[in-house]
Amino acid sequence: MHRLYTRSPIAKIMWGILSSLVGIIALLMVLVSENPRMEAQTINWEGRSIENGAKLFSDNCVICHGPDGKGILGRGPGLNSYYFFTDTGRLKDVGWVGSLEDYVKLTIAAGRPSKTESQWPEVMPTWGGQFGGPLRGDQVVDLTKFVMNWEGSALAQTPDEDPFQPFEDVIRPTEFQNTAYILLSEEEQAAALEEYRARNIRSPQEIWTGEACFACHNLEERQVDVYGQNGPNMADLYERAGSRVEGMTAEEYVYESIVNPAAYLVETYEQAGKMPQNFAEKLSEDEIQALVAWLLNPDREQ
Amino acid sequence: MGLQENIRDKGVLGAVAAQADDVFTRLTAGIDAGEFRRMLQGEPPGRPNPRLKPHSEGFLLHIKPTYYHESVTRFTHTYRLGLLSTYLFIVETITGILLMIWYAPSPERAYVDMILLLTNIPFGQFLRDMHRLGAEAMVAIVTLHMVRCYLTGSYKPPRQFTWFTGVLLLVMTLFLSFSGYLLPWDQLAFWAVTIGTSMAEAVPPAVVGETVNLLARGAPDIGANGLLRFYLLHVLFLPLLLILFFFVHYYKVVHFGISLPADEEEVGEDTANRVPADKRVYYLPDVLVDETSFLTVMTALLIVLTVFFFQAPLEHIANPQSTPLHTVAPWYFYWLQGLLKIADKFIAGVLLPGVLLVLLMAIPYLDYNPSRRGKDRMVAIVAGIGAGAVMIIWSWMGTPEYAVEGAPSVEIVQDVMPEEGSGLSREIGYKHLPLGVWRTDEEYDVHDHEFMELLHEFNSAVDYYRRADPDFNAPIGILTITQAQPKLKKLNWEITWFSADGKEGEYKKTFWLHEDSLYWEQYGWKHLFMGYVADGWKSLSGALAGE
Repeated sequence: MHRLYTRSPIAKIMWGILSSLVGIIALLMVLVSENPRMEAQTINWEGRSIENGAKLFSDNCVICHGPDGKGILGRGPGLNSYYFFTDTGRLKDVGWVGSLEDYVKLTIAAGRPSKTESQWPEVMPTWGGQFGGPLRGDQVVDLTKFVMNWEGSALAQTPDEDPFQPFEDVIRPTEFQNTAYILLSEEEQAAALEEYRARNIRSPQEIWTGEACFACHNLEERQVDVYGQNGPNMADLYERAGSRVEGMTAEEYVYESIVNPAAYLVETYEQAGKMPQNFAEKLSEDEIQALVAWLLNPDREQ
Repeated sequence: MGLQENIRDKGVLGAVAAQADDVFTRLTAGIDAGEFRRMLQGEPPGRPNPRLKPHSEGFLLHIKPTYYHESVTRFTHTYRLGLLSTYLFIVETITGILLMIWYAPSPERAYVDMILLLTNIPFGQFLRDMHRLGAEAMVAIVTLHMVRCYLTGSYKPPRQFTWFTGVLLLVMTLFLSFSGYLLPWDQLAFWAVTIGTSMAEAVPPAVVGETVNLLARGAPDIGANGLLRFYLLHVLFLPLLLILFFFVHYYKVVHFGISLPADEEEVGEDTANRVPADKRVYYLPDVLVDETSFLTVMTALLIVLTVFFFQAPLEHIANPQSTPLHTVAPWYFYWLQGLLKIADKFIAGVLLPGVLLVLLMAIPYLDYNPSRRGKDRMVAIVAGIGAGAVMIIWSWMGTPEYAVEGAPSVEIVQDVMPEEGSGLSREIGYKHLPLGVWRTDEEYDVHDHEFMELLHEFNSAVDYYRRADPDFNAPIGILTITQAQPKLKKLNWEITWFSADGKEGEYKKTFWLHEDSLYWEQYGWKHLFMGYVADGWKSLSGALAGE
């Protein structure tokens, strides 16, 4: 019978040494290949994640955001959009300081259930399982990766191609929520905004309610605060404003307090930064002047 | 003797040599340097044999016999299958403990940890592939070990109980392998284990079955609790149980000795303790060299197979809401899956395996034939081969080849682009899938060999089912490939047909494929390995040259 196995210890030891060498060489090859392999694996699993996201998007999202992610007019905003993918676009408008990826992930996971009066027929539902939605955490990640994969095509869009539909609930007027505007230089943007405001001057009453000043300042009853100590009472502003700061007229004082709220804080209302700091950007010069005059007028119309 | 007297008697060099020899003797538990040299030179031991000392003084060798009968050291007698099984268990323990570092047994983390292991851990993929390959090899080797013992009649007296514990060890090996199956938490794992545990549900009466199922899964369905339970079974309970039974088994092996070839040993003879002096092969050094070199060769083989050929699968993340088409058990349970297709869950899943197991364990107590010689036990050998053949047939029936046929349209798409795994579409990949509409009822001439092959396969799958199924007439397959996103193509498969009574049918299935995705289950990955080695070498030598 043929012997598969030799009895000579020398031959056995040689076999042992030879196969040790083979094993070590194979392991060294693995060692050398690990960096390129891990890179390839990383993009491989990213790719698969995007594929999973594509399926989820097509099953759940296309009815509002459209099959190509460009949104459906009056139904859901476009995501495959230059405006959406630029820092100075959507992210700036909502005041988001994190990355777009985090913003997308949060919006998918949490949805926008707080908006009872949305401009869209339906609010963005909550998708993340941790908030009671139907998707698992990994699915939210897959969907996010899929949405983020539009970056290349979105950033190649010209202003005319950008399908973004403006939001009505952000600081920047809806007229300027588009690619053409954010592609302008800063000076051009400021000029365009100024020109827009000149065309759209709001009355002081409109500003008072539109910017929600009434939420903190009581204008009707003297000495009475709105909801505890939110903001100083303003029913008697015309009596006090002139004597608040030495060398400042009532007009100057009120004007300064609107454009730079932290400059002079009223005693017991010393929480600087509570009042929005951006009224200088949101209101035109004429609007501010009219607002000041209205606030200081004891016979103003509510 | 104190050091100073030693130096006075032997001089400094002599004293150092004596001290070194002393240390050497302590490390080898009794073999001094001179004896070691004589061993290497192949000289016979003196009398009394100084090479027996490590067996009596050292822990590691005290479980090994001091000598074997010459006949059992022949490779073709045992094929070293028992040794190899034990060794694979050690390999599994080492790779398993390393893998535990990067794994947390929770549904939120398990699958993500798998991907992190593959993408971020140097040697992570190697460890995982080796652990998986080692596990499957262990099942195979333990089974082959049993087949060998059966065919040589080694279970006969006095070794009945050795066989009995061996069968228990086989069962534990199967469960150990199967419990590890769930841990990656992918579709393959989830559904294989769901099917596996559902068999426990068939144990009568219903309340017992449900309780067993509940205990195994930790909930009516597999979830976080089930994963944790399988993890604990896999890393703690089953290994400890296996180690315990291994020592019982091995004690019996040493106690009764390995059975000699049939014509050298009468049944009932105590060969281990009565080996004639001229037939003794001492463990030191002959058997040790033999076993060490054998295991070194096997280790190298395992490494080479892992590095160049084997790839542990990882499918999509477990999704309890969607059962993939053609769910299969691990290959060593194909036979059970085959049985389940032809008999009811209780008979095939509980009764038959239970009876088979009891029969297997009882073989030594049922077989009264006193002879171990092949020509005297034709019935046993034919029965054994017959049982093996039946197992293979049942296993074949367990594969999707047998008696699992979805609708033709579903099967066609599954053929070219399955839900899990690769299929030809993913094998040829993103760059070989040109945008456009491709119909099976039209001829194309694309200058892309790979894509033409895919169209051909699509065509022949449609054609096969047209001929095989009378309810599937005039079928047309349409593949539409569009660019969904940068680097992402959408493949829309559409099949239309007419049923026997002339009704039109339609089936649609959509998949996406990313440029960077590598579906290596049947393709590429291991082929790409040499490319990675070359890339890695290039950047390494570049870094070395450029300081």
